[in-house]
Amino acid sequence: MDKPVVVYEPFRAGMPPMRDYLRTLWGRRTFIAEFSRSELREKNYGTVFGQLWLVLNPLLLSGVYFLLIYVIGGSSDANRFGHLTATLFLFYLIANSLTGGVKAITSGQRLILNTSFPRVMLPISATVIALFKFVPTLIVFAAIHLLIGLPYSWKMLWAIPIFMIALLMGLGMSILISCVNVYFRDVSSMLPYLTRSLLYLSPILYEASSVSDEIKSLEIANPLFYLLDSWSRVVVYAEAPTTFGLLHSLIWALVIFIVGTYFFLSRERDFAVRL
Amino acid sequence: MISLSDYNHPHSPHGLAVSVKDLGLTYTTSIDKKPTLKARLRTLGRGKKYTRVVKALSGVNIDVHYGAVLGVIGSNGAGKSSLMRVISGIVPPTEGRVEVYGSVSTLLALGVGFNPAMTGRDNVYLGGLAAGMSREDIDKNFDAIADFSELGDAIDAPMRTYSSGMYARLAFSVAAVVEPDILIIDEALSTGDAKFKEKSLNRIKELRSSDRALILVSHALATIEDVCNEVVWLNKGTLMARGNPSEVIAQYRTFVNARKSASSDEDV
Repeated sequence: MDKPVVVYEPFRAGMPPMRDYLRTLWGRRTFIAEFSRSELREKNYGTVFGQLWLVLNPLLLSGVYFLLIYVIGGSSDANRFGHLTATLFLFYLIANSLTGGVKAITSGQRLILNTSFPRVMLPISATVIALFKFVPTLIVFAAIHLLIGLPYSWKMLWAIPIFMIALLMGLGMSILISCVNVYFRDVSSMLPYLTRSLLYLSPILYEASSVSDEIKSLEIANPLFYLLDSWSRVVVYAEAPTTFGLLHSLIWALVIFIVGTYFFLSRERDFAVRL
Repeated sequence: MISLSDYNHPHSPHGLAVSVKDLGLTYTTSIDKKPTLKARLRTLGRGKKYTRVVKALSGVNIDVHYGAVLGVIGSNGAGKSSLMRVISGIVPPTEGRVEVYGSVSTLLALGVGFNPAMTGRDNVYLGGLAAGMSREDIDKNFDAIADFSELGDAIDAPMRTYSSGMYARLAFSVAAVVEPDILIIDEALSTGDAKFKEKSLNRIKELRSSDRALILVSHALATIEDVCNEVVWLNKGTLMARGNPSEVIAQYRTFVNARKSASSDEDV
């Protein structure tokens, strides 16, 4: 007799068989790419003006904060404008990942109730979309960097590992919040306040060096604080990040990713019933 | 999890396609319509859990062999759709064991397409990719799907502009063109006009072959009797009868008529 291709049995709390899971997930990678693309196309990013908007949007954003801090606040330091844009753009990679992830599962209801697939594909797609939106902002920042004459150095290569940490953090947050939102639907309405608080608690509108030591010791609880500080050091000032900053953000990213993925994978077979 | 790209899974004709053993399924639903943190905090510390337990299936045993066309009948809420969801791996069983020996394509009540803002084409691709088909597989089948659905240019219009008939036609076309080992169709024949209904019925008859298993859920008893070579009847989550279509359908009719006088089930 043939061996069954697949067996469904009652699941106990815990992870699904990881090897099979990862194999199916890898087999569905084209879905992630195609899903992100159609999602962007649906929001008109396929058109010329749509793509222009991807660049225009971060520019306008930084313009607003520029107005707020440097025109009204009366400071005129080019480095600080560089810091503002660089950190704001990286922040939006994570924030977009969160806002995209929160409804990833609940809005994928039709697909989830009709097809069996690794559910984690949906929050992963949300992060991929956030990444697509981040790339044009990187180009905008490169232009700003050139225009205001910020320094260059080999140390800027540190940007690559820091970016990877940021991506991992965004992915972990997206996976975690998409799962939490299945059980507590009002999380999606609280999310704007969460991202807004993160924005103000992180060194974006100000620099990490201007924060007092007491507050800094509290900022250890903020996953983004040292991540954004390191990013600013590297891409704005062309310095190496501090070891502490690097480790702090790496550990936070790993913790969020592992907790989120564990929570998600051990619960995902329950999603179809909960939707 | 099955992927349709496990296409060439070797299986002997008349071998086992799906084996369902002592299957039980229990849903625990909260009474609140939407689970929210607020609702959870409000009930915190009251000790009582505001949930309702629904026994959707219990002690169901079914073997489906390749070559079979199995009809599933029963009143609303009998557990038919739940059974289909368990077989296709969407909902895990609470008790028992389900073994599936091949690739499954499902056409469940909701049909294809999960994002109404996207075009029919995008939805077909996304649905197929999520089910584990490769892009080449979909490319190869796409024209046939579009032709079969008779949607014409509408295939490139957002699905929110579709009528329910168009929706159903596209959904049926996707499931029926793909040629999986095991095809599950859940009440999808009942939409669409007479012409398309006939066309899809013919397609189902074409799909009957010794190396494929079909499972049809329908309230259209005449169709079931016409197409299937085996019927199971579910009532309140338990298996009432299985066997020869005309016999089981006759039993079901007597059962229904005993509870409710005149009834006509003859709406396809």
